Amino acid sequence: MARSTTSFGLQATPKHPVSLTVNGDEHDLLIEPRKTLLAVLRDTIGLTGTKEGCSTGDCGACTVIVDGKAVTSCMVLGVTASGKEITTIEGLASDGELHPIQQAFIDTGGYQCGFCTPGFIMASKALVDENPDRTEEEFRHALGGNICRCTGYTKILEAVLQAAEEIRTIS
Amino acid sequence: MSEYSVVGQKLPRVDAVEKVTGAAQYGADVHPAGMLYGKIVRSKHAHANILSIDTSEAEKLPGVRAIITQDDVPSGRRVFATDKVLYLGEPLAAVAATDPDIAEEAAELIKIEYEVLPVVQDVIESIKSSAPRLHGDATKDGPNRRDISAKIKKLADQVDSNSDEIRKLETELEKHTDEVYYNISAESHTEAGDVEKGFAESDVVVEDTYFIPRVHQTYMEPHVSVASADSSGKITVWASTQGPFAIRSGIAGTLGIPLTQINVIGTTMGGGFGGRFGVIITHVPAVLLSQKSGRPVRVQMTREEEFLDGRPAPGCVIKLKTGATKDGHILARQALAFWDSGSVSGASIGSTIRVRGVYKIPNIKVDAYGVHTNKSGTAAYRAPGAPQAIFAGESQLDDIAEQIGMDPVKFRLMNMREEGDAVPAGGSEPKVGYKETLEAVADAAGWWDREADENQGWGVAVGDWTNGCGPGGVYVSVHEDGSARIFHGSMDITGTDTAITQIIAEILTIPYENVTIRRGDTDSAPYSTGSGGSVVTFTMGNTAKLAAEDARRRILELASERLNTNEDNLELRDGAVHVITADPPKSISLGELAAYSLSTTGGPIVGKGSFARQPSTPALAAQIAKVEVDPDTGRTRVLKLVASQDVGFAINPMAVEGQIEGGTVQGYAWAMMEEMQYGENGNINPGFVDYRVPTSADLPTVESVIVEVPAPNGPYGAKGVGEPPITPTLATMANAVNDAIGVRITELPIKPEKIVDALKNNGHEA
Repeated sequence: MARSTTSFGLQATPKHPVSLTVNGDEHDLLIEPRKTLLAVLRDTIGLTGTKEGCSTGDCGACTVIVDGKAVTSCMVLGVTASGKEITTIEGLASDGELHPIQQAFIDTGGYQCGFCTPGFIMASKALVDENPDRTEEEFRHALGGNICRCTGYTKILEAVLQAAEEIRTIS
Repeated sequence: MSEYSVVGQKLPRVDAVEKVTGAAQYGADVHPAGMLYGKIVRSKHAHANILSIDTSEAEKLPGVRAIITQDDVPSGRRVFATDKVLYLGEPLAAVAATDPDIAEEAAELIKIEYEVLPVVQDVIESIKSSAPRLHGDATKDGPNRRDISAKIKKLADQVDSNSDEIRKLETELEKHTDEVYYNISAESHTEAGDVEKGFAESDVVVEDTYFIPRVHQTYMEPHVSVASADSSGKITVWASTQGPFAIRSGIAGTLGIPLTQINVIGTTMGGGFGGRFGVIITHVPAVLLSQKSGRPVRVQMTREEEFLDGRPAPGCVIKLKTGATKDGHILARQALAFWDSGSVSGASIGSTIRVRGVYKIPNIKVDAYGVHTNKSGTAAYRAPGAPQAIFAGESQLDDIAEQIGMDPVKFRLMNMREEGDAVPAGGSEPKVGYKETLEAVADAAGWWDREADENQGWGVAVGDWTNGCGPGGVYVSVHEDGSARIFHGSMDITGTDTAITQIIAEILTIPYENVTIRRGDTDSAPYSTGSGGSVVTFTMGNTAKLAAEDARRRILELASERLNTNEDNLELRDGAVHVITADPPKSISLGELAAYSLSTTGGPIVGKGSFARQPSTPALAAQIAKVEVDPDTGRTRVLKLVASQDVGFAINPMAVEGQIEGGTVQGYAWAMMEEMQYGENGNINPGFVDYRVPTSADLPTVESVIVEVPAPNGPYGAKGVGEPPITPTLATMANAVNDAIGVRITELPIKPEKIVDALKNNGHEA
């Protein structure tokens, strides 16, 4: 049986000092080099909104935004994220107002069990921030790194298109 | 204009905000103080004798707090393998440590000595006498041997055992030596009419063998459990499960602990599709580790572990034969099926009878066997067994329609059962929208004037399923601000809490936003059935209706006292009780009545609903796909996918559409891409790179069409919605591919290489 991928087979080594900015808050931490950014966010900082669906970078449930780019946080070692600015699902709503993408997922029924939803919303945000003018077909391909097992994607695409439209109108 | 104001509306779900902000708490988000991380030690071979298990090195690793094997299961019930493993990844031991990486290191340090045994992974190989036996030497006779043996047994009661007649039958029996099946876990046989006579009277008879692979539910949240055993023996389990009450009794039964000592708290469920009812997969090991370490323990599976030791849907091989007249009447159908039940019994072999579909078939015979292989056991997956059987049945119907030159939709419409027709199981067919649903999808897809360019084709299929039913209890309280609060114990399965809330708001005539819902744990909530089998809206919807009606009775009683008038003069409307005949109008709000109730003899407004069963009504899903096949690469592209469904009544049409779209895409995936693959040493594709599930890039928009033919006993006429949409899609896709390139694929998934090979056999040059 292949070795499980969660620790990449790395042995325990001395902890390293790491500084992360997560959703605007600074965290100075001591972490083992074998810990992923996902493990640091969930287990060390306690932000459990980011989900672990496969641990191999294939399902997108752990997607967060690092310096403006969507990344699968199970594929990033925590120590390499030092000094970077990270946004997770918990950092998206501001002043009690949901982000337009969050609202669109509610309006269209773009989630069911909700486990993939934080990853989808973060991936969608990065895409819409980068270019809200994509066509449906372009969004379909750009979101191909995220797996949803409940919705069949129809309503997720509706949500992303609705949010992109709104963001185009605002900006 | 609907006669209802809350049910039937597309309303946002009650759990909307927590789901889009990351606040919803799933199993792995639970982290009690002092929690340890568990890891299960798994077999590295698919079939082997276990010679020894040595935990001494692992025990020495700093941070390890507990190691358990079957010796630590006081009840003796099998949790871990001891002398023999039957599949790759079968649990042998478990470790708890202060850090997940330490637990994993410790698991690797446990030394296990194996004596490797021959492996059998294919059902057709497993039934042969040459196959290694997984559980002793159990054999079963096939259909012919069964028939002859039964005749001999009957005759033996009447005549001498040496009679010519019996000796003749015994000689005939010897002709069927290859019909003794080995490694059989279960069998099921059904017969009506006389199939031989039916085939003889048919103008067209088609026979084929269909292969459907084992697929995984691949819910996005892997199995997880957090258990905490305190010093008094009380056990708390935070469980990601479809059925907390079933988990409670499962743990109690496995470990010999009284029910009252166990509290199961269901965490938000990251998908289940039938595969999230298992007790020993993570829950029991977590409890045992917590008991031994004295600390809370989380056992969380990786995706790889899910593929090795989850409980996926069984694959099967179905040999099917159908006969029909040249004017389109189906006369007979016969199936022989072998279901791959893995290392234990339990595959949904009884579903083989679903080859009957919703058609009038006077003569039918079905023989089905569960077969052991060196794989994990199986579990339910969205209409368990139906997609497999319906794939065979609906594929073959198209072949018959083609041979007699009849339109596939018209052929199906002509043979569908109608209200009042005799039902094989007894009684008569209720009113079901079979024809309405098929006609609706044909109209919506543009079937009647369909066009197709070269290498394009259209496919149609239908699938039926009937929702289950189960016990449930609901309380509803009305508060002084006019709001209502629901309390119950069933897991929300993608929108059922929302449906319950809509029903109660409708009956109490208050705004949807003023009704909130809360799920209790097994210590606090009334008993509830598991959230599977499309039961929840049917069962809990009926239960919620009863609770709301009970609350309304108390409301009218209070209003009658307060307004000093007979209840017959009162009407509950817009969140207040009105005196019907009063001029000027006279009314009292629910909030005022709730406040008044607190100082009455009868007390606060608390409605109770309790329900267990009522007959359910079948539902039909009908689908049409238009595809384009690239004959050089074998790639199939879906151009159009339309799905209709008779849902009885859509309590929340947005949620219902979501179920239809999601189920259809899961069916598409089973048809075109998903397959658990097995080599000499077990599963070889335990991850999303090698086990492909669809992404948004693989599909177009799924168009859903809701058909509403009410179910007499459903809440507002609602039927189970979750399971039907996966049932026809496997055949829909195969029929579309056949229409596009004239190739009948009977072995799923329809991967590009199979299309290229089949075209090559037909003379196509790439």
